[in-house]
Parts: sequence; structure tokens; C-alpha cells
Amino acid sequence: MRANVWSGRNTVQVENVPDPQILNDRDAIVKISSTAICGSDLHLYDGYVPTMKKGDILGHEFMGEVVETGRGVSNLAVGDRVVVPFPIACGSCWSCRHELYSLCENSNPNAGIAEKAFGHPTAGLFGYSHITGGYAGGQAEYARVPFADVGPFKIADDLGDEQVLFLSDIFPTGYMGAEFCEISGGEVIAVFGAGPVGQFAIASAVLLGAERVIAIDQYDYRLAMARHRAGATDTINFAEDPDVVEQLKALTGGRGPDAVIDAVGMEAAHGHGVLHAADRVKQATRLESDRGHALRDAILACRPGGIVSVIGAYGGLLDKFPSGAFMNKGLTLKSGQCHVHRYLKPLYEHIKNGAIDPSFVVTHRLELGLAPEGYETFKHKLDECVKVVLKP
Amino acid sequence: MRAHAAITVNRPREEVERLWRGSDRRPSWIDGASVRFSDAPGDRGTEVHVDVERVLPGGRLGEIVAKLASGARLAKVKDDLRRFKQQVETGEIARSEAAPEGERAGRKFKQRPGQPLDQSQHEKAGAS
Repeated sequence: MRANVWSGRNTVQVENVPDPQILNDRDAIVKISSTAICGSDLHLYDGYVPTMKKGDILGHEFMGEVVETGRGVSNLAVGDRVVVPFPIACGSCWSCRHELYSLCENSNPNAGIAEKAFGHPTAGLFGYSHITGGYAGGQAEYARVPFADVGPFKIADDLGDEQVLFLSDIFPTGYMGAEFCEISGGEVIAVFGAGPVGQFAIASAVLLGAERVIAIDQYDYRLAMARHRAGATDTINFAEDPDVVEQLKALTGGRGPDAVIDAVGMEAAHGHGVLHAADRVKQATRLESDRGHALRDAILACRPGGIVSVIGAYGGLLDKFPSGAFMNKGLTLKSGQCHVHRYLKPLYEHIKNGAIDPSFVVTHRLELGLAPEGYETFKHKLDECVKVVLKP
Repeated sequence: MRAHAAITVNRPREEVERLWRGSDRRPSWIDGASVRFSDAPGDRGTEVHVDVERVLPGGRLGEIVAKLASGARLAKVKDDLRRFKQQVETGEIARSEAAPEGERAGRKFKQRPGQPLDQSQHEKAGAS
């Protein structure tokens, strides 16, 4: 089959590789109909996530048709149309029983590596480096799906691929980020990053009843999407004025937002002055894996007693964490890779009843063979790119 | 601190002890004297503790393991505890394309790329 493989920093290529086979009884094979490039794939592409290996198939947002099932999979049949969550979860460990699916204790066969880096292993993820298991990803014609009796979500309706594809990651991820904010009505929520996850965090904050949602980004076209499609009430373009903390205070009567969502992660583009320069140098020389200006500003901007919700991806270590602001303002920090399985059904209902149509983020549709072009376009934000969908 | 490995299995103690003693899921080279079981608090299952320095290896694999440096031995015990937990909780060993035979300390530095195996690699990995 053809698959998009990582072959070094800033290099991906579409190659012929063997077709996937069932390795365990609870596996299924899915013929992929749509697959997307995630912002977190850019961290791999840019070479900031350790434990990548040449030949790794990328991709963790995919859907398609079941073409084979292992002996232990009785809930799926050949021909079923499914969306596949990006974390691989066994369904039976303590974490899975408590709906903490991205912390599954059994799905990462490189648990020893993860334990060294994080203290404990976390779940296996599709196509996301060897520290999360070394699973082949979904930017390919086919994928093997482990624990297929737990993860894949059947789509029985005639909704289009682009309406349901993002249940695999970015819609639930954005939603979880908003849910962390404990919105009960009347809140002001600020969202750093108006990329695809940021768009869904904004839309979800609106769904959950936030009164105002402030989008922060450096591209006007993404801020326009945040305002006109996701429902943001205010926007801040930090390319025009980099002092985001002061602007957030100005927009909130000096209080600061009740909760702040970091939908940026380890490659923050904003920031200014000496600290940002130091981050760039340290990250480029691999002294510091994470460039964390969004997180620092989120903590500085959040109102005392508020919540900082981290759904942007981080990989290693970050310098200059504002521990004084974090502690003295009595903030609550919540984070995690999304527990996608938990959100599939309720968010699918929101799509079905028309409360949201997630396809609004799609700006580029490419044949799988053009994946390298898709990565370049997305990385450099060419042609007003927000989200790239690949068709195998 | 003495080299110690522990894992919590999300099953009642009686079941965990029975499976450890009575089936092929148990890492057979770890002798009984170095293993201790206890109830995890709050319905979290059963803790399995292994005193790695007291392991008196059994069988041929045990002899090989006995020759390993203590760090490598600890890694091997941890691998086998994870495999035991995986089998008890899920009925199978987690296998990825990069580590098709499942968790194995020696594989940490010799990963395959994360892409499907060809037929001969598939058979070598002993997958179903």
C-alpha cells in the first residue's frame, strides 16, 4: 500500500510499504477513506519530538471501512464505516475504566521508554513517535487498529466524511479543553491558538455557554474563521501587538479571563524579547524541547482563582515556568491528551442534530500522494491553510 | 534503595495470585520467594512487588537473565510484569509495528520503523 512516512526533519514522502496484517485477536484492519494532517504532526515534521525513526508512517486522524477483523472483535463487521480515536485504549485497565483513555496502561509496547521520559507510560497513539508505542499511522491506504472492540466508532448515517472525521481527535480535543474550564454560563474564555484545535475549543466553549470567547493568533484569516465560523466574540492578533496579557486585561475590565486554553503547545510562535529569543535558541539546539510562551502568557493572563487548560501538545521540558504567578494566583492547571472515546457519542449527537458542522475548518483537500505538499502548506500557513484532509 | 519492581493489576488478589502461579502468563524465571502480592487501596486491584535482587532465576532464560547487569535485570523484570498485566487485563500482549513481539527491554534501542511487517517478519514476531 501507499503511506506517508517520516524520513527526517522537514521531510515526509509517500512510499510503498507492506499492507498491514492482524497481529492480535482484538485487531481490525481499516481501509482509509479520509485522513488529516494534525497540528501536532507538525511537531514531528519539525523534528521536535524525540524517538522518531525513518520510515514511521504518520497520521492519527483517520476513518474508513472495516475490511478485516480479528477473532476477538465481535462488535464490528466487514463493511462497517468507522472513525478511529487517536489514542489506543484497552478498555479494561483502571485508567480506561475511569474514562482516562489516553492514559491506557496496556496499549504502549514501549512503556519502558515512556516511563523514562514521563515517569509513567501513557497510552499508545497512532503514528506519533516511538515513545507512544511506535504504531503505524493512518496517513495511508490501510491501518491496523488494535483493541478494535473498544475504539472505532460506527457511523451509520449518511453524514459526509468531513463532518465526522474530526471526531478522531481535534473536535474532542478542543471540547475537552473547553470542558476543563468548568463553564456554567457568563464566563470569559481566552483561547491561545486559532488553529484547528483552537477553532474547536472556541466552538465548544460557545456550545457550553461561555458568554465571551477571545481568540488569539497571529494570522488574520484564522482569527476571521474563529469569529465568523467558530463563534469567538473578540480576537487578538499578536503580530500587531505582542503584549497579549495587557490586551486580555483590557478586554476583561482588568480581571483577566476566567479560564485560558492553551491550544498552541510546544512551538509557540508568539512571545517577544529576550525570553522568546532564549527559547528559540535553546529549542533549536535541543537544550529545551518545548517553547512555551503561550503557556507562560496563559498563566500570567488568567484571573486569580481561574483555570488554565492545556491541550496543545508538549513533549519534554520547558524553562521559565511562571511558578510564582501560578501559585500565588491560586490557579488550577488541567491538561492531557484527549480521552477521545469519552466524547465520541455526545459530540456525534451534536453533529447529527446540527449544533455544529466540524467541516468548517477544512481549507485543503489533497490526494494522499500530495501529503508532502500538504505538510509544507500547513507548516508555512500558505494559501490561508487551516486544515488539510488527504484522500488515499 | 534495593532494586524493586512493582505493577498494579486491575483484578482481585485471589485471581491475580492464581494466574501468577497457575498459568503460562507468569514470567516463569522469577521464583516465588521474591514476589509479594497485596491489595491495592480503594478497589484498584492487586499490587505485585518483585524484589529484583532476591530473584533466584529458574530455567534457561533465568540463567541468561542472571548474567545481566542489575539495571538490565530490572528492565527485564519490568517488561515481564507489564506483559503479565497486559495478558491478565486484556488477554493479549500489546504489539506495535515498531515492537511486534511486544514490550522487550532489548527492543528499546533497536526499534523497527512504525510501518507494517512483511510476511517473514510477521512470522518471526510470533503474532497471531
